[in-house]
Amino acid sequence: MTLETEVEALRKVPLFRGIDETKLRLLAFISDRTEYPSGERLCSQGEEGDCAFIILSGAADVLVETPEGEKKVAQVSENSIVGEIAILCDVPRTATLVAANDMDVLTVSKDDFLKLLKEFPDISLEVMRTLALRLERTTRDLADARRGAAGG
Amino acid sequence: MEKSLFGFIWKYSSRQQIFILMVTVLTYPVVYILLELPKLIVNDAVQGDNFPRTILGIDFDQVPYLILLCFSFLSLVVVSNGLKFYLNVYKGRLGERMLRRLRFELFQRVLRFRLPHFRKVSSGEIIPMITSEVEDVGGYIGEAFALPAYQGGMLVVQIGFIFMQDPLLGLAAISSYPIQGYVIPLLQRKVVLLSRQRVRNIRVIADKVGESITGVAEIHANDAAAWHSADISDRLYENFKIRYDIFNRKFLIKFLNNFMNQLTPFFFYLIGGYLVIEGNLSIGALLAVIAAYKDLAGPWKELLSFYQMTADVSVKYQTVVENFDPLDIYDQERLTSDDTVDLSGDVKLESVNFAGGAAGQEVVDISMTVPAGSACAIVGPDGSGRSEVLQLAAGLVAPVSGKVCIGNHDLDKLTDSTLGRQIAYVGGAVHVWTGTIRDNLYYGLRHRPLVPPQREGESLKNYNRRLSEAKETRNPTYDLAAEWDDFEAAGVGNEDELDTKALELLETVKIDKDIYRLGLQSRFDPSMDDDFADKILNVRKALAERIADEPDLGGLVELWHRDRFNASASLADNLFFAVPADPEITMDQVPDLEQVKTFLADTGFDKKLQQIGLKIAETMLELFSNVSGDSGLLGAYSFITLDEIPDFERIVRIAKSDQPRPGLTDADRSRLTGLAFKLVPARHRLGVMSDELKRDIISARQTFLDEVVKNSDNFVAFEPDVYLPPLTIEDNLLFGRARVDRRDARRRIDDVIRTIVEETGLRRAIIYAGFGYHVGVSGSRLSAGQRRKIALVRGLLKNAKITILDDIATGVTEEDRTLRKGLRQILSGKTFLFGTSDADIAAEFDQRFILDQGRLSE
Repeated sequence: MTLETEVEALRKVPLFRGIDETKLRLLAFISDRTEYPSGERLCSQGEEGDCAFIILSGAADVLVETPEGEKKVAQVSENSIVGEIAILCDVPRTATLVAANDMDVLTVSKDDFLKLLKEFPDISLEVMRTLALRLERTTRDLADARRGAAGG
Repeated sequence: MEKSLFGFIWKYSSRQQIFILMVTVLTYPVVYILLELPKLIVNDAVQGDNFPRTILGIDFDQVPYLILLCFSFLSLVVVSNGLKFYLNVYKGRLGERMLRRLRFELFQRVLRFRLPHFRKVSSGEIIPMITSEVEDVGGYIGEAFALPAYQGGMLVVQIGFIFMQDPLLGLAAISSYPIQGYVIPLLQRKVVLLSRQRVRNIRVIADKVGESITGVAEIHANDAAAWHSADISDRLYENFKIRYDIFNRKFLIKFLNNFMNQLTPFFFYLIGGYLVIEGNLSIGALLAVIAAYKDLAGPWKELLSFYQMTADVSVKYQTVVENFDPLDIYDQERLTSDDTVDLSGDVKLESVNFAGGAAGQEVVDISMTVPAGSACAIVGPDGSGRSEVLQLAAGLVAPVSGKVCIGNHDLDKLTDSTLGRQIAYVGGAVHVWTGTIRDNLYYGLRHRPLVPPQREGESLKNYNRRLSEAKETRNPTYDLAAEWDDFEAAGVGNEDELDTKALELLETVKIDKDIYRLGLQSRFDPSMDDDFADKILNVRKALAERIADEPDLGGLVELWHRDRFNASASLADNLFFAVPADPEITMDQVPDLEQVKTFLADTGFDKKLQQIGLKIAETMLELFSNVSGDSGLLGAYSFITLDEIPDFERIVRIAKSDQPRPGLTDADRSRLTGLAFKLVPARHRLGVMSDELKRDIISARQTFLDEVVKNSDNFVAFEPDVYLPPLTIEDNLLFGRARVDRRDARRRIDDVIRTIVEETGLRRAIIYAGFGYHVGVSGSRLSAGQRRKIALVRGLLKNAKITILDDIATGVTEEDRTLRKGLRQILSGKTFLFGTSDADIAAEFDQRFILDQGRLSE
């Protein structure tokens, strides 16, 4: 349970991949390490999000509200980051997260992350690059999908 | 008040001054003989012949005669110095008493100012007047008559002595006095004017500094620091200029004086020398004259500086006193009278005019009647005269013309003892006093000391002394230690009932929750109330049981366990398993406690903790050294503040270097230990805690408990069945720590605590504990809303016949509406005047008066 293991986990998150080690350590240090026993909610759909979760161990079910009640749509597991959109812009949570088994999670709060961005602009650059790549991929996927739809 | 300083001194201390004078006169012969004896010894005993001398019928040979004279000289030295000592103490005491009288008189006069007068004076000006400006007066009063009498007498004695030796020499000795007597007052007059200016200027500075402190938030919010700095700097320059002028003149006076004094010996040597050569004067006489002249310089200097001081102090006295004598000051009776008349009847304003309100607005020709026992709203926007009418009705201000009556009593003719007890007034600008919440709630019941405390032995003696001193200086003899709370006026029988009543009112105004929270945060001394401590311990037990029963809950806390490491608590808590008995001791001070030092050295933990501290410091420097101080990250997360970074950089550098010098100082080591103590392993995952270290800590903990905690009162151990006074009530309820690595653990556990507290009926006791909460300077630790509510409860607790609220509880929210309903209910059967600017709110009242631009409108 040390900073080093957390830094390892952070490094595997694409959003933080290009950020140098000391800054990742700082990010890890200012984040909260929390445990969630199986079945506890990390967040609920529709509530205001103020932090991102980096899963260090265990897995969480992603649930979405449907007319028939909550429905599991995916599962996220070790070394993935969830809710990261919430720390970049103000949007309500798009899904509910429930611990599928005992989890160990690093919680990065929005305020602290933004402070960190302000403090080290090169991190912002890295984050921007990652987001741009994602956008580019999404756009391409969308274009492909459209072409597919038009063709089909 | 006496306009002149001497008037004041004579009026209140003539007897003592005469006594001082008499004792002073008593010293003259002693001094004269003291001067005469040496001459006798030299001329008669040493150089004389025809012995023996006969004194009181006894014959003395030369040597016994010499011895007799010398011993008389010695005894006179003792007598004269003894008298001086006695006089000095006597004068000092007189001065202090007079100063006390003066200061009290000034303060009482401030209380006697009419309210509108306070728009013309500021506290920043009045405070230095009462405190520092009159300080010199105290030192002066004891000397006022004695010094000129003593030194003047001394001067006359010595001049007389010189004249008796030779009139010509006498003339020479005083030849410069007429010139000095003419020039010096001329210069002094200018100095007096300058001192006056200086005093005024200093007052303005004090006022501006005071204002800057009050408005410091505004200064920052408007970036006006430069302007204020320039303003003060300007005033300081002004002060410098005045002072420089004063110095110049003061030292010129001194220069003239010294010069003249040293000119005189010139005449002595010339004229005296001539006389001796001519054989008209003995050499012994000339030497005695020169010695006497040397002694003459002393009194003369003293007289001169006394003259300067008189001028200075008189100016200070006048510049102070002139501010305390406004024409319309209340009679002293208004404050001191203890007679209460019964104020029942209608509140009547008869063609009342009033001028000089807050914004200068006037109240014109108001006639209205509020029947006794009814509730009535006075409506009008700010500046309409609403507040003035309500203050008129409360007797706080007096009408310029017309009459304000309650029943058939004209309020202007009543004293505070009636107005302040039978009328409860809570205005828009409330004041909360520095003190506890209890002090503030019961403030309206503390009119006079009611039950004097039991005193005996030493304390009775001290009290009697205090009493006689108070009488001596015409200070009040009210006993501060007495019981002041007037239960009868509040309509209750004893303190418990008063607390209950206060609690009911707090619930009505909806501030009970706030006070409950403050109660949880407060500390309390279990020796005062065993019962309460027991109840808290019961809650602790109930909580522990519930935690044991509900695993969900159990996951949220880590309870104290003697054999277990608590990862959510600091290393210090874990190591000591105890807390310092004095809650003021911070974690940074703990490593310096002697017992802790020995314990750490004995167990070898000093090195270990320093290693941990060093690791923490290194990591913090690595993580935060590039972080700017203003980002907030440093403050919120680091163990080290921005200011401490250079210091810790030095410590780490020294610790890492191989050279034995300079090496770490003891203070450096303590700082590292202090860092380690603050580590909470579950929060700060720095990888310094190994299982082995945890085991070591637990075994060392036992040693600490056995060797230190058992044998000393400085630490209190965590015991499940013991109330821990250094911790807050809240921390005592939960015997452990909420886990920091569980989301919202603190909040969730607090909810559980609240339910248990309410189930066990402890809530009330905790609120009472909250009564002891210290509200800070003028209530600064409370919010504005809380302050108003406390002031409201204070007013209601007075249980007065007439209650006047202005701009209190005038919100349109549902909460305020209920509050107003509650108020009307509590005050039903009593006269209730409610000031608001909102017509809709006024509509809740059966009776309304509408004010518009100072007039009553229909």
